[in-house]
Amino acid sequence: MSQLSTTTQGVADWEKMAGASSQSKRREFPKFLIGGVLLLVAVGYLIISGTMGGARYFMTVDELVSDPQYVGQKVRITGAVVGESIVYDSENLIIQFTIANVEDNPSDLALALHNAVSDPTIARLPVYIEGEVKPDLLQHEAQAILSGELRADGTFYATELLLKCPSRYEESVPAQVQAEPGI
Amino acid sequence: MLAEIGLVAGFLSFLAALYAVAASVYGERFARSEAWVISGRNAVYVTFVLITIATVALQVALMTEQYQIAYVWSVSSPDMPDLFRMTALWGSQAGSLLFWSFLISGFAAGATLANWNAYRRLMPYAIAYMMASVAFFIGLVVFIENPFTSWWILPDGEVVQTALMPAGAVAPSASRLAETANGLNPLLRHFGMAIHPPMLYLGFVGFVIPFAFAMAALASGDLSTNWIKVSRRWALAAWLFLSLGLLLGGRWAYDVLGWGGYWGWDPVENAAFLPWLVGTAYLHSVMIQEKRGMLKTWNMFLVIATFSAVIFATFATRSGLVDSVHSFARSGIGVPMFAFWFGLTFISAWLILWRRSRGELRDEHRFTSIFSREALFVLNNFVFVSLFIAIFWGSFGAPIISELFMNTNITLGADYFLQVTPPLFVLLYILMGVAPVSAWGIASLARMGTALLIPLALSAVSLALFIFSGVTNPVALFGYAIVLMSGWVAVVETVRGAIARRRAHQESILTALWALSTRNPRRYGGYLVHLGIAIIGLGVIGSTLYQVETQQTLAVGESMSIGDYDLRYDRLLSNQIADDGRVMDIAELTVLRNGAEIAHIRPRQDFFPEARDMNTMTIAGAHSTIENDLYVLLVNWDEISANRATFKVYINPLINLIWWGGLILIAGTLLAAYPRETLPVRVRQALRLAPQPA
Repeated sequence: MSQLSTTTQGVADWEKMAGASSQSKRREFPKFLIGGVLLLVAVGYLIISGTMGGARYFMTVDELVSDPQYVGQKVRITGAVVGESIVYDSENLIIQFTIANVEDNPSDLALALHNAVSDPTIARLPVYIEGEVKPDLLQHEAQAILSGELRADGTFYATELLLKCPSRYEESVPAQVQAEPGI
Repeated sequence: MLAEIGLVAGFLSFLAALYAVAASVYGERFARSEAWVISGRNAVYVTFVLITIATVALQVALMTEQYQIAYVWSVSSPDMPDLFRMTALWGSQAGSLLFWSFLISGFAAGATLANWNAYRRLMPYAIAYMMASVAFFIGLVVFIENPFTSWWILPDGEVVQTALMPAGAVAPSASRLAETANGLNPLLRHFGMAIHPPMLYLGFVGFVIPFAFAMAALASGDLSTNWIKVSRRWALAAWLFLSLGLLLGGRWAYDVLGWGGYWGWDPVENAAFLPWLVGTAYLHSVMIQEKRGMLKTWNMFLVIATFSAVIFATFATRSGLVDSVHSFARSGIGVPMFAFWFGLTFISAWLILWRRSRGELRDEHRFTSIFSREALFVLNNFVFVSLFIAIFWGSFGAPIISELFMNTNITLGADYFLQVTPPLFVLLYILMGVAPVSAWGIASLARMGTALLIPLALSAVSLALFIFSGVTNPVALFGYAIVLMSGWVAVVETVRGAIARRRAHQESILTALWALSTRNPRRYGGYLVHLGIAIIGLGVIGSTLYQVETQQTLAVGESMSIGDYDLRYDRLLSNQIADDGRVMDIAELTVLRNGAEIAHIRPRQDFFPEARDMNTMTIAGAHSTIENDLYVLLVNWDEISANRATFKVYINPLINLIWWGGLILIAGTLLAAYPRETLPVRVRQALRLAPQPA
């Protein structure tokens, strides 16, 4: 019963408000406007300051190595992992390996990665990461995407490591099928 | 044989879907002919039957190991267990697109069947929109990513992959194919992977229904709340599946990827989160239209944005647009998908503007008070959309714009998201605490204050528990306080309703709760969802701010300690071979707390001898309690003596609340979608009292 009476009370209140002169609407409108503008400014500020702080240039090994202005700057780079260079100190969780330059947006990533690690004339960069367990995907010819900075000693000190094996989802011609057709 | 069945059924379903679009539009708009419209409706069912046949054909091919079909060859191998043969259906691009087409076609058929009689005026246009989407995805399957292509050996010895048998070609030998088959990517051989993609796909494709009905409302001119009524349960179902998909994805990452976390702000994760954000905003703001006849244009916008975000997420994931652990290989579907996304968004926006310019989307009420429920809902929408924009910008906007206009490539890392999103999430939780106690139309600050007293007191008490357990960081305490408050409001509002009902009806409190939830499932289901989200929030704060990690090398018999736990390394079982052929090295450890043994855990490393490329997998061992997870990774071990091994150990406080909160969220959504009695109490009573016909 008590609930019912509050409801009718509420309806009565509402009707009073709805029937109120347009004066009250006019009084409320600037509040909405000011509130809205303040919120927009706040969100805009959040996004812009976040972008300033979090932005990383994404570049290839070539671009990073060839321009000294990037030394000490936080950047993101991509490269092909050279398998035999991987050294993992599991006691201290230090991973070191070398990546080779891969062009931006190659049409066949698997092939580009393969070519990059096979050609010793292509620019290479040693990488050092501390505090990470060696990821399962860190393998020969994987694509590494690293965040961190190139220091004066010529090594890239990474804080974030992302790996991709492009052929994972791709079908390629079954080589053995080709080797022994029709058997 | 199966390949031919799949090819033919797939192609015919494409034609049937196109026919459904054409017949519906022609019959309704131009010929004004019922026969055409009905024919278009029937084509919806035919499409579904045909695409089902194609999907079943591929599934049977996987189960019966038809390795001549290139898709089967690339995602399965003879030693795989049957469960993963089933899930291999969505293990790679072509199969998952087929599966996706099957699901979206199923949704379209279901919505047509369920609503044909009740919403006859909307149906032809809704069918046109649904089936246009269906036709697009089936088209991708048939013409670009066909899972039914087979291996052939040409007369000159070259091996090719084509849909139709080339002249003079022979099939490779079955045994050779079986030997060389790839097998499913080991990372995907996990229970979470068996259900995460279907859930996510169901969530994605489900939003086609609200979208199609919104568009049908715009096209047909029936701009009442009919389109909302029709699509409410579909939207809830889609939202539920999407939420589940996101949670399961997090769980999979936590179990399989071995970095102790569940969300990495990876572009593809974000892409799946975007439709959830606008979808959630939509579920809230439609209530304003239903109750107050406001925000008509905005709701249309949100429902379009949701489906548009779905298509964009699919495009971003599958076209190789962004670098991510999830991304599929670069593929030819990028351009058509982008074109579809652009066309869909453009046409929708144009339809809205057209109806708006004719004055048909005018609101029936205006905002009168900042603290009215509708104003708080608008604020909720504002925050959801801000999150959407911030996350979209960070994942896609900044990289794409910098590449297009600045000739550099700028990406934003996890630190961007950790800086920008928390304030917005805090605002959302505050709103979740305040909005349920506000009223439609009016502002009654005094009433709100009174209603918040008990939740405030309960929050203070539970916060004291956190302080007592050692949380002193003001940021964490602030976060916990906000989240606790939002959860307690949901609980207290529910209990208050039950108590009032108990008084009025002389029922027990449980009966009253049950009666409440079945009488008003939307409200109390909603509160239950809020409670689930609050519990998830506690888990996120605890596991983000208080994660502890360490790493140590132990000899057999040695112990290490972390937090309140001691961890003793007992032995290493090397080269254990599992049913599916993987070779496991398992470390056995005993977990002790205060000197008492409480659990044994077995972190391990798996090696897949037959898999190409990615062939090792680190599986964590975990001891889970409501308080925290002790999460242990076997990092390395001494190959010869097996005497020493290195472990990385995490303590993730409160992380299990995320999964438990997820279960509550499911229960709440199911309750909210529960069919309720539609007649008002007074009418029902009158009916009951009316004299029975003799």
